[in-house]
Amino acid sequence: MVFEWFTVIFAWASVVIFIGAAASQIARISSMPLGLRWEVYPIPHEARDKRRYGGSYMEEVDWASKRERRSFLAEIVEFLAPEAIEIGAEILTMKKVRAHNRYRIWVFSTALHWGIYSFIAWALLLIVENRVNSAALAAVAGVVGVVACVLGAIGAIGLIIRRATTPDLARYTATLDYFNLAFLAAIFVCGLISWLGDPTLAAHEAYIGSVLSFKPAAAPWAVVLTFLLFELFLIYMPFSKMLHYIIKYFVYHQGLWDDAFKVKGSDTDKQVIEQLAYTVTWQGPHIVQGKTWLEEAQTAAVEGDKK
Amino acid sequence: MSDKTIRFKDVARLSNEPLASLSADDLMPIPGLEDLPPLPAPRAKWLETYDLSLDGFSDLDIPMPKTPEEQERLVRGFLSGLEKLLDPQNNWTFAKLFRLSLDYCLHCQTCSEACHVYLGSGRQEIYRPTFRSEILRRIYQRYFTPAGKLLGPLLGADIEVNFKTVWRLLELSYRCNICRRCAQVCPAGIDNALIAREIRKLFSQELGLAPAELLKKGTRQHLRAGSSTGMNPAAFKNSVEFIEEIIEEKTGKKMPVPVDKKGADILLIHNAGEFLSWPENPAAFAILFDAAGINWTLSSELLGYDAVNYGAWFDDVELARVALRHVSIARELGVKKIVIGECGHAHKAICVVADRVLPGDLSLSEIPRESCLPLLWDIVRSGAIRFDPSRNDFPITLHDSCNVVRLMGIVQPQREIVKAVCAQPLREMEPHGVYNYCCGGGSGFAIMDTLNFSQWRNNVSARMKVKQILEAFGDVLDPGIRKYVIAACSNCKGTLRDAINYYDLWEQHGIWYGGLADLMVNAMADLPGPYLNWNEEM
Repeated sequence: MVFEWFTVIFAWASVVIFIGAAASQIARISSMPLGLRWEVYPIPHEARDKRRYGGSYMEEVDWASKRERRSFLAEIVEFLAPEAIEIGAEILTMKKVRAHNRYRIWVFSTALHWGIYSFIAWALLLIVENRVNSAALAAVAGVVGVVACVLGAIGAIGLIIRRATTPDLARYTATLDYFNLAFLAAIFVCGLISWLGDPTLAAHEAYIGSVLSFKPAAAPWAVVLTFLLFELFLIYMPFSKMLHYIIKYFVYHQGLWDDAFKVKGSDTDKQVIEQLAYTVTWQGPHIVQGKTWLEEAQTAAVEGDKK
Repeated sequence: MSDKTIRFKDVARLSNEPLASLSADDLMPIPGLEDLPPLPAPRAKWLETYDLSLDGFSDLDIPMPKTPEEQERLVRGFLSGLEKLLDPQNNWTFAKLFRLSLDYCLHCQTCSEACHVYLGSGRQEIYRPTFRSEILRRIYQRYFTPAGKLLGPLLGADIEVNFKTVWRLLELSYRCNICRRCAQVCPAGIDNALIAREIRKLFSQELGLAPAELLKKGTRQHLRAGSSTGMNPAAFKNSVEFIEEIIEEKTGKKMPVPVDKKGADILLIHNAGEFLSWPENPAAFAILFDAAGINWTLSSELLGYDAVNYGAWFDDVELARVALRHVSIARELGVKKIVIGECGHAHKAICVVADRVLPGDLSLSEIPRESCLPLLWDIVRSGAIRFDPSRNDFPITLHDSCNVVRLMGIVQPQREIVKAVCAQPLREMEPHGVYNYCCGGGSGFAIMDTLNFSQWRNNVSARMKVKQILEAFGDVLDPGIRKYVIAACSNCKGTLRDAINYYDLWEQHGIWYGGLADLMVNAMADLPGPYLNWNEEM
């Protein structure tokens, strides 16, 4: 019974740790200073006619006086929605990998990603099915589960083989990268084995029910192992680069697509003024020690320059 | 050493033998230019003094550290700089994107095929966009993360930092044009070009190490003498007189060029290299602005006549210093806005990157900074000047400056202008617009000519552009047909000038280059004769 209790507690703990760790990573990145503008076009939130070819508001004369402040609704519809669509399209189709990668990883990478999405959907379906007890849902869950495990296993194992056998990829693939893929492959292979031993998913659903209701119960080893591995993965993911799907928000929205120019007195201006008060600690010979960034910028010539 | 056998830890190899050796046979073929000469070996004298152990090329005429103390000092400075680069407060300008790019690269190598340097070199491993990033990443993991210290080899954190590692990494940071085509195609948004820039920054801001053309003769000279060309205000005024002579010669009219005109609407700032190398370009601007009735001025203040800001390529402190001076001059003159002439990196530096190093009254909302291209299109659209496209009846292609197009999204105005002032349809390079390839001179390479660096530039980084140009003019390569490559950027022009000479494209194929304003003036119906000089001064 001790082990059964462990599986219940571990399942809940994994969810709590995942949420906490992911939130902590998000908080850590969010708390970093506002960076300089460093956008790269095309940018999805530009006006539709410009977005088509990668144009920007800077194609207009006197653009600074033409930019209007957006309403909250317009901010969502015209700004965030096109960004979300662009990021979502990449997450779902991996179109950039397909268009530009010459190492034929698109098929495996897409399979792996869809395997992960489907596996999560499978787990959610089992939870819902446990609460509503629907035969139709159980049937859908059965299909989704198999699809998830087959796709995921093909993707993860295919990527391991592709990386190991392609010298240009192998050079950049560390043991940890193989471990990550093998970890995922283990989850999907276990999932397949557990499904083979329980094609109606009755034991899977019972296991989910025991976790949700805090009533530990015995389950087939393959079922327990599949979920334990997945829970372990949940705990591990926020500390690995597999968190990249969340990071995209910061990379794009606050980096490559951040084209907002600074207005005097704005929040951005205030933040910049605050950051310009940081002391410069760099030691280069052209840098005057002990000054703030603003003072440094106002110091054109420095001691040691030839007159 | 064979390129295919390179391991990351080879960067720490103490030998002076280059990590990779380039041969002309390895480089990307350019159809029509099959019989190119072999790459010359570096001079024996250089090898005694300088470190060319990356690829046999260098722009850094800095003697390599000889004594163990000097070498140790270099290593310590590097690690100290890397620590600052990773620290959000010390590196507030780029820490977030830099850290995310270091931490979340998935090593899919999708970016490689986007890089003109990698492709132009015939896919040499050391020029892959991820190669230098991976070296820095492994050093960072080994020296600055608990996991790397504990599990080093499992993470790939296996690179030893010695003075050779440091020097080769410095060289590697100057094998990327920072055109950011790699970031554009990365499925995770990782910016390997930014990592290259940050490595440059580490060396400059912590150790004062940078190509002389960028720091000593670049930003330092710019801030001290007024221009990175060394041009002082008196010399600038002489240049203006020379421009007035060009205008009179070409238009038959005396036209004073306004300088330091208080309360003008526009302060126009050119790359000062234009005054020295292509004075017909600032003259063309003066003719167009005068004909369109624009109330504008140049400035003769220190820095006010040189729009360049090399800090954008390698040093945030220098970036802020130059930008602050530019904007302050505009404020003192009381102009409504700054317009940047045909200089790509100057566009990006003052209109985009430096936006958040200038507080309050110097914000973009208070003193707008704009590209000249929308204004030039506005002039054409307004009908204030009569253009006769038949005067530009020759094949034309357009080189997009990365800084203006991919990094600012200014794509259409220049194309609309070409449509309006040229007789023949524009021959677009493939790819073009925001997906263009860099000319090979970006991020300072155009002006870096020390030791044998220009050989590398012409053979490797400019190679893709030469191929594109030849392809754009593929059906009219007869040298009897004059062809014009528009390059609305001083550094792109400098690179094209060199490449055209190196590959003999004028003699062999009648291919020349020049600015956009020059082409517009050439089409002005009221002008007594042609404005373009083609290759007459050569």
